[in-house]
Amino acid sequence: MKTRTTFKLNLGPQHPSTHGVLRLLLELDGEKIISCEPDVGYLHRGMEKMAENMTYIQYLPTVDRIDYLAGFFYSYLLVDLVEKAMDVKLSEKVKIIRVMLLELNRIASHLLWVGAFLMDLGAVSPFFYAMREREMILRYFERLTGQRMMYNYFVFGGVRHDIDFLEDIEEIIKILPSKIDDYERIITENPIFVSRTKRKGIITPDMAKNYSITGVNLRASGIDYDLRQNSELYQGFEFETVILNDCDAWSRYKARILEMRESIKIVEQALDKIKSFDALRQILINPLTLKLPQREYYNEIEAPRGLASCYIMSDGSEIPYRLKWRTGSYYSVNLLRELLVGNYINDAIAIAGSLDIILPEVDK
Amino acid sequence: MDIQELKNLFGECDIYDEKIVIKSRMHDALVYVVSEYSFDILKSITAVDWGKDVGVELIYRLYSTINEEDFCISIISQGDAESVVDIFKSAQADENEIYDLFGIKFVNNKNLKRLYLPESWEGYPLRKDYVQTDMRIAWNENENDI
Repeated sequence: MKTRTTFKLNLGPQHPSTHGVLRLLLELDGEKIISCEPDVGYLHRGMEKMAENMTYIQYLPTVDRIDYLAGFFYSYLLVDLVEKAMDVKLSEKVKIIRVMLLELNRIASHLLWVGAFLMDLGAVSPFFYAMREREMILRYFERLTGQRMMYNYFVFGGVRHDIDFLEDIEEIIKILPSKIDDYERIITENPIFVSRTKRKGIITPDMAKNYSITGVNLRASGIDYDLRQNSELYQGFEFETVILNDCDAWSRYKARILEMRESIKIVEQALDKIKSFDALRQILINPLTLKLPQREYYNEIEAPRGLASCYIMSDGSEIPYRLKWRTGSYYSVNLLRELLVGNYINDAIAIAGSLDIILPEVDK
Repeated sequence: MDIQELKNLFGECDIYDEKIVIKSRMHDALVYVVSEYSFDILKSITAVDWGKDVGVELIYRLYSTINEEDFCISIISQGDAESVVDIFKSAQADENEIYDLFGIKFVNNKNLKRLYLPESWEGYPLRKDYVQTDMRIAWNENENDI
């Protein structure tokens, strides 16, 4: 009698569709995956340890690097946490500027995902289309902040300088909806794309909750949990929470497309509001004397890859006693242990790609 | 969330602004709140080192998608803790990270190993008593033995 033998395969760390350096140790029986063991840590920079040796203003420029595709979200978390701790009243214009930049950043992040996901599946051209539109947003960020990825624009008590070049944003929101229509025409009903993503990588609602999956991936599994809906920051903005019930890779793609359209709506509303304000007046916190009162602080936001949160335990001195980041991708990587099992190796890339994992966020 | 009920079940517990600190039996406490109050997402486990005399505090943040409410419960650990992977599979990620950086051993979690740091790494970097003596990695001003 022949015995079946299995073999092990390293997927990554240097693989174009692992979006960073992720190594998946797969055990295969023929082409079927029997077990999956993610190995992370190739990008570990010790963000939490660094915080314990730096003052808040020294630490602020580094937090954009936690997720370099959505840097605004993480600097917002730290800045907002300090403002709440110091009980600072922000001007209305600062809040609107922040919402607009966060949502533009979310669109840029989702655009990159759409391109990269299709590239993972073997379709090259959508990548160029998505990067072309993302470039418009990054150009605007560069004009405004001087940086394409690590913005360092939010500061304690406000923003670094007043918002400008609003005509660029007008052009972006004028062009983007028609471009997203184009993507949908090329991708959404494409038979090859559909056959590779429909009913692949199904995350049932219970499984998603048990693995602490948040953000778009959770909403594509039919659970209504969007932090933006009840948050103070997004008060006065009208948008819908995208909820799809198919639970598969295709619905995660569709949810991101729909979410981009909702984000465009928010940017439009924010732009209208900004135009009605006068020049920005803000009172910044003096970072040299900044000390948080002795207490613990917690703060969370809906980042493009799920719930992101920041926890600070302060002992009353100018450096945090303990700082902890919670990021969405980290839990998505953990989910791969179960999600890939039973699938074929050629679906592994499609399923892992659909979760929108980014490795600097995992490794911190 | 009825705090009095928790007190009756788990004995002494301290209550801070948004957090309940229990003395023992974290696994039972989570099983109880999950079944009674339907908390279905474990958002994160945070560890804070309070020094050798006190121990490491483990803070569990839960969320209920049904009642849309948050809940925060914590426990002080003296080096080992009960694993909650059988309730929330996401805890595997958190427990592995805490084991790697704080050295807390989670009983009943069979998958614990170094996560970010290499297997040969000595010590647990996020502990307050951790000193990195390798001059290639960190500069310690107090040490004169260059």
